[in-house]
Amino acid sequence: MSASTAPFKTRYRRSLSDPDLKPRLLDFQRSWRESRDAQVQRLEQRTEQSFDELRRDFAAVKDSTLERLDDYIAEFRANAEAAGATVVELSTAAEAVNYIAAVCKSRGIDLVVKSKSMVSEEIELNHELEQRGITAIETDLGEWLLQLAEERPSHLVMPAIHQKRQYVAEILGEELGREFDPDDIPAMVASARDGLRRHYLSAGAGLTGANALVAETGSIMVVTNEGNMRLATSLPDVHFVTAGIEKLIPSWADAERQLQLLPRSATAQTLSTYTTCITGAQPGKEMHIILLDNGRRAMRETNTIGDALRCIRCGACANVCPPYQIVGGHTFGHIYTGAIGLVNTTFHHGVEEAAGPQGLCVSCGACQTVCPVDIPLPQQILEVRHRAHEGGHAPLWERIALRLWARPRLFHHLMGLAAAGSGLARLIGLVQRDHLRLPLPRRLGWRSVPAMPLRSGQTLIRSRRPLSHLWESSSAGQTVDLFAQCLADRLLPTAVDSAARLIEAGGSSVNVPQSQHCCGLPAFDAGDWETARRMAKHTIEALEGSERQIVTTAPSCVISMQDHWPRLFDHDPEWRDRAAAVSERIHDLAEWLDGPGRLPDGCLSKGSSKSWTAHRFCQASNRNDAGARIDQLVERLTGETAKLLEEPEVCCGFGGLTSLAAPEVGEGILERKLACVAESGCDTLITNNPGCVIHLRAGANASGTHHETLHYAEFLAARLPKNP
Amino acid sequence: MITLSDRIALFADGLQAAQGELVQCSSWDDVWEHAVALSDETPVVSPAAYEQLQRGELPDDTDPLRSIADRSVGVTVATLAVAETGSVLLIEPTPRDRAISLLTRHLIVAVSAEDIVEDLAEGFLWLGQQPRAAAYATFVTGPSRTADIERSLTIGVQGPSRMTVAVLG
Repeated sequence: MSASTAPFKTRYRRSLSDPDLKPRLLDFQRSWRESRDAQVQRLEQRTEQSFDELRRDFAAVKDSTLERLDDYIAEFRANAEAAGATVVELSTAAEAVNYIAAVCKSRGIDLVVKSKSMVSEEIELNHELEQRGITAIETDLGEWLLQLAEERPSHLVMPAIHQKRQYVAEILGEELGREFDPDDIPAMVASARDGLRRHYLSAGAGLTGANALVAETGSIMVVTNEGNMRLATSLPDVHFVTAGIEKLIPSWADAERQLQLLPRSATAQTLSTYTTCITGAQPGKEMHIILLDNGRRAMRETNTIGDALRCIRCGACANVCPPYQIVGGHTFGHIYTGAIGLVNTTFHHGVEEAAGPQGLCVSCGACQTVCPVDIPLPQQILEVRHRAHEGGHAPLWERIALRLWARPRLFHHLMGLAAAGSGLARLIGLVQRDHLRLPLPRRLGWRSVPAMPLRSGQTLIRSRRPLSHLWESSSAGQTVDLFAQCLADRLLPTAVDSAARLIEAGGSSVNVPQSQHCCGLPAFDAGDWETARRMAKHTIEALEGSERQIVTTAPSCVISMQDHWPRLFDHDPEWRDRAAAVSERIHDLAEWLDGPGRLPDGCLSKGSSKSWTAHRFCQASNRNDAGARIDQLVERLTGETAKLLEEPEVCCGFGGLTSLAAPEVGEGILERKLACVAESGCDTLITNNPGCVIHLRAGANASGTHHETLHYAEFLAARLPKNP
Repeated sequence: MITLSDRIALFADGLQAAQGELVQCSSWDDVWEHAVALSDETPVVSPAAYEQLQRGELPDDTDPLRSIADRSVGVTVATLAVAETGSVLLIEPTPRDRAISLLTRHLIVAVSAEDIVEDLAEGFLWLGQQPRAAAYATFVTGPSRTADIERSLTIGVQGPSRMTVAVLG
């Protein structure tokens, strides 16, 4: 069994065992980001439209085409057949394979040369044809290397990105019977020209995919770089096209819109080297266009998933995905890789194949920000995770942990025990720099376990006198409810108390509603929506029945209430309304301090830290939330300038349950973040989501780095005037 | 509408970014002189280029691709060029039309300066109105390339490894 077809757990372990994979993919992601951003910026300047406008325009084209798909298929078929092509619509992978094999058999064809086609990968065509005595040869260099190594693509556009040049030299040497110098990449590339030529000359058929099927003329459009696709369609007498039905677009004008977005998003090229348009069979030749469903119509009919059919297979979602950088596409996906692979695999290959990698996604939301057709991938992945959970694919420890978490009183008692245990550990010297000195297994040792403070955030607030108000914000005189957030309340009590102080400083009083617990986010993220509903209802009951605005230290809870609650109560009008009445009043603290509870510019004195930088909570940043740019808030209030942090919006690796389910992924992403922090040279790192604070602090503690990690509320409250 | 010289300048930028080269030629003789200067071999030419040049070696009628595979220099003609992207549009319905752009080492594509359109949208507008042209049409942007081995950009894979656009006029 090869590296890419083994069970998920084996693939996961194998990808971690390659020490070069992480740095190579990191290098790739960073250089792609830079050149892609430059391309998109030039496109925006030239068209005088924003990327968002451009992608929404093209997404609208795809959506309206998908709505009237049968009409466009009929139009395409009529035009293509008038030009001499044969068009067949097939429902399953087996039907597609059988059709191609039958045509080959009847023409006496035993060799097919292939240009890159993800649909042919989807239906595992090479393997299936081989079973029927027909040889298929890949002619795209990357695909050919995969075929020689008996592997699957690990990226939609750069299929062999996981292979090292030493390995390439080895497999090429074996195939061609000569030695290759691994450092002479041009010589290896040149060998493809010679090594593949004989196959083109003797093949009876050429097979290509299609980036678009143009209905108005019945044409296919294919985007390539190597020149192999044109050879594969010029020498053999039969041309097969394998394409998903979602590739239909109405017109050439739409093809041009697609091309504005596709090469720039895929390889950061203005245009790929070859954009080839073919209409019908060439004189004396045959053309067979296979339009494949294989789960696509079911996707279209599935609530929240249908938009994934807009996908133009650019691979951008993998290029910004932090966990993809750690494990690569053989693990992060099945045959389709990256965020889109986590979604569409369920429909093309079944929920069994889709379930494994679900836990790797950190829900940072970066994928959607670069998607050229604006697919709501983060929401879709949560939907698929939910299906996997319903199908019984969640690990036992996770199910137990969530059940415990969902019971506020039990949770409270467990936390009390943990706090007492931590206190005891302090007494006997097992606590150092606020973390337990525990011997941890190697898989987990990259992050220390925080010692639990004795008093919760709520207790701290209730046990002190309110601050007399210092400034008149527009909410002065109001009472504000504080939602402490379950994690922060127990593990970052000073952050919770600091938030209350900052609200009080703006002239409002703070009320901490009793019996508040958890918004349901951990369970929702894990796909356990039943438990999430129970937790959400508890929180709604704790927060409803007042007109007061609600402020929280946790932007993740704001997202949970605003985005996830409506989905949880989709079919329950009563609770949907009750949920909305609460989520309408929720504010992230940073947004509050710039908005209703706005504190004046420069009102906070300079503190003791020599230099600071800010990690912006990824999910809020990628959602473009007001308040996500906490560095700007802190600069405004303190007059201190932040040090530059590279990639401030890339996930820190906490990812909710991901860092527990796949600790090596959490560790790898954390390393990337801590390296950027070290490079910034700051001595204080501030961030805005409690989970990130705990994760970054525990990671820094375990790695022995000496910067301090703070929730920005702590950083700001420490600068409030001492004796007003 | 931008001026002709602006379009040529933009086109030159786009082509250069795609590792292509540009020469300005005043006549077809000029294009030929440029082609023969590149190699000792006689340039091979596409049927469309032969019509203009009246010289050079044409691909074989029955087995056009094999007959010119890996020849040093080939000349063909583009129907139009796109300033925005530095691309040329080749209309090549038969393998014989395609042979030169597929398999020669150094490809020379001649195009009239006035056939340089501003952007890809204009190029596709033209294509959409020419049903027969779309039988086999390719926007070519520079020489063939791959980055499939460790993302190392290598120019010249299965198609030409050098490409020069000769702008006429």
